[in-house]
Amino acid sequence: MNSSMTITDQMTSKKPDAELKRRVLSKIGEHKPYRCYQCIKCTSGCPSMKMLELKPHEIVALAKAGFIDELINSGIIWTCATCLKCKERCPQAVAPVDLIMALRNLAVDKEAKVPDSFLHDLSMILECGHVSRPQPTITRKLEKIERDKLNLPKFKESDERFKATFMKALETKAESENRK
Amino acid sequence: MKIAVYWGCVIPTMQYAYEMSVREIMPRLGVELADLENASCCGTPVQSVNMVAAVYLAARNIAIAEKMGFSDLLVVCNGCHLSLFEAAHFLNNDEKLKEQVNSLLKEEDLQYSGKIKIWHTIDFLHDIVGEDTIKKAVTNSLNGLKVAVHYGCHILRPSSVGTVDDPENPQKLDRLIEWLGAKSISYPEKLDCCGAMLMLSHPDAAFTFTGLKLKAAQDTGADALIDSCPSCQNMFDVRQKSAGATTGAKLNFPVIYYTQLLGLAMGISQERLGLNLNRSPVDGFLQKALVH
Repeated sequence: MNSSMTITDQMTSKKPDAELKRRVLSKIGEHKPYRCYQCIKCTSGCPSMKMLELKPHEIVALAKAGFIDELINSGIIWTCATCLKCKERCPQAVAPVDLIMALRNLAVDKEAKVPDSFLHDLSMILECGHVSRPQPTITRKLEKIERDKLNLPKFKESDERFKATFMKALETKAESENRK
Repeated sequence: MKIAVYWGCVIPTMQYAYEMSVREIMPRLGVELADLENASCCGTPVQSVNMVAAVYLAARNIAIAEKMGFSDLLVVCNGCHLSLFEAAHFLNNDEKLKEQVNSLLKEEDLQYSGKIKIWHTIDFLHDIVGEDTIKKAVTNSLNGLKVAVHYGCHILRPSSVGTVDDPENPQKLDRLIEWLGAKSISYPEKLDCCGAMLMLSHPDAAFTFTGLKLKAAQDTGADALIDSCPSCQNMFDVRQKSAGATTGAKLNFPVIYYTQLLGLAMGISQERLGLNLNRSPVDGFLQKALVH
């Protein structure tokens, strides 16, 4: 799919996909797109709307209609700052942010475009159990200081057993089907 | 009291001042901290990739605290707090998911039972340590200082899983500040997001979030911005210059962790609180705070 196309461009050329819709809805979270009546309260309070034109109510409507492929290929799902205001304020308890996270999970499953930095974090966790190893820091007077020099306990990296289990967890899919 | 403490990733690898200040203040307030053994990432960065793996990571850290025999776990980072809190909510309401996660945890002889109570710095200090103990510990009242507060999204929302404070009108951090003698100034952008989570995909937009919020807080005439999340601090403090450049705002605003402010009021030295590591211009503020 042409990644420079907007969601609207893509919608005109494709039909909704029921199977993909089912897969998104089975992901963990509390999203209930079917309850949305498009009051647009989510989008009114969305900080990413101002900066990046994210419209949570539109994402909900498109998911409801089954335009999942279009959503995971458009790039728009990566503009959410996860401030969670949409989830907090929705009068219908729809949780657009949870739907966006479910769509991101599916984008990874289907190897659609995923920003590199998310995968970088993942590889760091596999390597040392954390998203980073202790970094040198700089004081206000621009002196470089290491964690070791700050009288803090030693930072411990994770062992092989953790890494193997985390790898297994990454291959696990949500089995739960208690969400409609 | 003795409590297990979980630091996450950002604090022990980058935001050392938060860890230093928490380790300084807690024992002086009668709280003994026990680090989780073999802790790992909380799962937040994995939520976008694989929700089951994210819940597993969160549950793993809770399960470690359970195995160590604790009934309370202090999670000082906002992002980690939400990740663990939300995972507990999912696991307690979804038997299948709990089974799935527990079968993974078993590989390391761990088990999630869901009996542990999870705290954040703010509600732990406010609800458990409490007003009397904190007021008694203050030797250097911050009377006359005015500050703006930033709670950070992930300890306020979503209230459906339970939160640290009221999601629309939080007051605990404001009260914690008033117990030190300082005044907390209310401003309309108090609940706005710092933008940190957009650093992974849209850094310029992230800096715009940061710059707009900082500008709003600075315009209140406050002496400093007080926060309690390492990712927010990373944006407001470390990246203040980039945020100012991106938004065209003249930013010159001290940003300090609440635990550092509390430490100052308790008479702990700047060095022990890691105040030389704050990158925003805090020197003038410190002078003002220490005159009292």
